[in-house]
Amino acid sequence: MTQILMTPESRSPPQPMETILVVENEVLVRTVIAQYLRDCGYRVIEAVSADEAIVVLKQPELVVDVIFTDIDMPGAMDGFGLARWVRSNCPGPEIILTGTVPRAVDAATQLCEENGTVPKPYEPQTVHDRIKRLLAARPPKKP
Amino acid sequence: MVGVTMQVSSVGPAPATPTVLLVEDEVLIRLMIAEELRDHGIQVLEASSADEALTVLESALAVHLLFTDIQLPGTMNGVALANLAHVRYPHLKLVITSSQEPCGDSGAVADTFIPKPYDLPAVIKRVEALLTQFADDANF
Repeated sequence: MTQILMTPESRSPPQPMETILVVENEVLVRTVIAQYLRDCGYRVIEAVSADEAIVVLKQPELVVDVIFTDIDMPGAMDGFGLARWVRSNCPGPEIILTGTVPRAVDAATQLCEENGTVPKPYEPQTVHDRIKRLLAARPPKKP
Repeated sequence: MVGVTMQVSSVGPAPATPTVLLVEDEVLIRLMIAEELRDHGIQVLEASSADEALTVLESALAVHLLFTDIQLPGTMNGVALANLAHVRYPHLKLVITSSQEPCGDSGAVADTFIPKPYDLPAVIKRVEALLTQFADDANF
């Protein structure tokens, strides 16, 4: 039996949501981690490439708190390039790099926060824990 | 705000959240329409191309409505994607969108055409109606 429930939802008072920018070119990997982070209560913006991420980061009304980006991405800029661009152009967001190549991930640590890399394959809970730790170290957000 | 939930079986798994697969290559447009749909209780899966959309459709992820732009990069545009989806997943609701009217009957398989720029309240109303129709179709 199919059931449709049309129910009015009560809006909770607006609260500042932390915004995570997920940059990942593999659609199923991106979908799973983005949905998981939304279920954790974050606003999640999805980008399929570094170019898309930069378009998002250039929007003054979109304040990104954490960038969670794959290292290996097609196109002119990979995750390292994106991290360098962020450090040079918009130093606000924390950066977490993820990738499958241990050496590349080790090299990435110089671009991230301390322990800012997450090797693949990762558990969504691991990503959430890393984001929570990074955000907890920041000054509280104004409502 | 209206929330729609779908239950496939009264004794089966938990009710499925109505889910839209949104195919749009412009990241800011994709973000705008995705967040508007999510604000109305609709789950949104995002794809930036027809290839990504097909990967999602072939996965185990439940999709009830395909909402695709016509102009997409790559070898397949939104009309071709809608035509293919119509053959492979005949129960899927299909919405095509563009800043230009589709030529001839190229959008014939679609349940609706939504012009750009978006009238967001009208988009939400149309998508909610199609999701309810999907559930009604599944009921009989």
